[in-house]
Amino acid sequence: MKSKALTYLLSNQNADGGWGYAPLQSSAIEPTSALLLALRDIANCAQSSQRAIEWLRRAQNSDGGWGFNLNDAESGWQTAWAVLALRLTAGEGDGSRRGAKWLLNVQTMQLTPATIQFSMKTLKIDPYLRGWPWLPGEATWIEPTALSVLALVSEADIASSARMNEAIQYFQDRRCPRGGWNVGNPIMFNSALPAGAHTTALVLLALSKLAPKRINPEDIKVLRSEMGRGGGILGLAFGLLALRTLGEDDPLAEVRLSEMQGQNGGWADDLYKTAVVLMALRGKI
Amino acid sequence: MNRRIFLRLAALAAIGVSAALIYRNTAPIGAWNYFRWAARGQKQRFFGPPGIVALGECSSYNTNLLPCLRGLWNQAEMPEVRGKRVLIKPNLVDFLENHPVTTAPEVVVGVADLLFELGAREITVGDGSAFRRETWPIAEANRLASALASRGLKFVDLNYDDPQPVPIKEKWFQRASEFWLPRNVLNSDLIISVPKLKTHHWAGVSLSLKNLLGVVPGARYGWPKNMLHVNGLPLSILGVYQILPPVISVVDGIIGMEGDGPLFGNPVPHGLLAVGRDPVSVDVICTQLMGFSIESVPHLMLAAWAGIGQTHRIKIQGVPRESLQRHYKPPPSI
Repeated sequence: MKSKALTYLLSNQNADGGWGYAPLQSSAIEPTSALLLALRDIANCAQSSQRAIEWLRRAQNSDGGWGFNLNDAESGWQTAWAVLALRLTAGEGDGSRRGAKWLLNVQTMQLTPATIQFSMKTLKIDPYLRGWPWLPGEATWIEPTALSVLALVSEADIASSARMNEAIQYFQDRRCPRGGWNVGNPIMFNSALPAGAHTTALVLLALSKLAPKRINPEDIKVLRSEMGRGGGILGLAFGLLALRTLGEDDPLAEVRLSEMQGQNGGWADDLYKTAVVLMALRGKI
Repeated sequence: MNRRIFLRLAALAAIGVSAALIYRNTAPIGAWNYFRWAARGQKQRFFGPPGIVALGECSSYNTNLLPCLRGLWNQAEMPEVRGKRVLIKPNLVDFLENHPVTTAPEVVVGVADLLFELGAREITVGDGSAFRRETWPIAEANRLASALASRGLKFVDLNYDDPQPVPIKEKWFQRASEFWLPRNVLNSDLIISVPKLKTHHWAGVSLSLKNLLGVVPGARYGWPKNMLHVNGLPLSILGVYQILPPVISVVDGIIGMEGDGPLFGNPVPHGLLAVGRDPVSVDVICTQLMGFSIESVPHLMLAAWAGIGQTHRIKIQGVPRESLQRHYKPPPSI
């Protein structure tokens, strides 16, 4: 299963060194970063990885962040992926340091009396807690917050900072009433919104690095339940990755993933999803 | 101070206050656009081409929808599709058991069958979910996936469809000069918006125009596509509409949604299919058939004011609107 997937990934690397979400698409930051992470420590992939690292470095914007791809001058949430990939595959470097700085300084939506009232009354969330936005100037959401924590937590001086403590509180505040996490709105107009496997898994991955003792068994239970509810390949793969990172497992999830593998070795003919599945099978980012 | 000086000072103060008010009200789009759009709105209202909306009555998804759609297509004087690359854009925002959130697959494949019949060169079905990282599981859950497979139709998750930047027209997006759109959207000659008729707690209603926000690529803008809200939903809806290839509408109101839409509302057996070449006109009529005035839908009011589409002079074809008039429960107010 893995060797066929590796062949699929390596044979679809673009000439510029990056990968798109799917074969023949132009290179983008998220899939390239995810593939770098999936290929790390695998023999015979060093050359491909080095080309991808060079592409990622070329794609960094002058403000230190990364956008969607090489041509996107607006830095955004993809910065977390690039920092994480560069730190874990290329080691400490100026590029990832500048990326981390961008993440720490990114602006979120300005609070107004109306947004404060709306957040507290309709969404029942604490608007003063800072997470991370998808793009600068926006509201904060679960997925970019979890990714940013994963990218930043390897820095000892950041890991224990007030910003990281605030991230833990943020996750607690945005937790769904029945456990787990969705995009970041646990409640809307008095309706409890359901959690999702993908977002719950990302928060558990972030908390596993940041504050493992704050992980609630109920959240793991919700993750297992959501993984079985047709969340697609990413929900299943990120879920399995989170479980294995926490020292747990779901053998049935691996069986289901193996059944989803395509003839060409990839999952849904999607390079990004295939990379996440490989990380899940390995059991660590 | 004599009376004359007092009146002069008062007039100057009034001019100053008016200028300040105009500046404040036009700041997001600029005073030039503000007045230009307002003038265009008046021109469109009185001299623009009339909209045509064809209404059909169909009580169930279990009947062959093709004859009804064919009739409505002709009555609405829809554009030529022969030889064109057409993107069908259903609403696949999310799937929730017992809530009619998504466009029914029967309507989507009914439209595709009609396009085959009319000689479209290439037919693609695509959407990009706002909340979920993968749209395909939603298509599987609402049975669209199997319906498409039965016709050999291609599905594209627009969230990951190799997006490219395109210039923004006027000032519909205040913080950006370009907007990223999926490759299949940019390569289409025509987009058919096939929304579910439903209420929406932010937008008032979710119909042909609101449905178009599903083309915004999550891989660039995230999940949900928060930039659209930060920019202001009415501006974003009309801004996206104007940078797309030509858009026409087929609305699935056979079962609509009332109350807490777009996700948690309740089904309404409405029996409505609405077809038109101007999505603004179609949405105005559908809004009224739900029992709402367009004053309760900010993006339709903005369209009327800025002269986007036809909101005033709309010719109805097909079934008389009286027989399709309903009174939906409104969404919760913000």
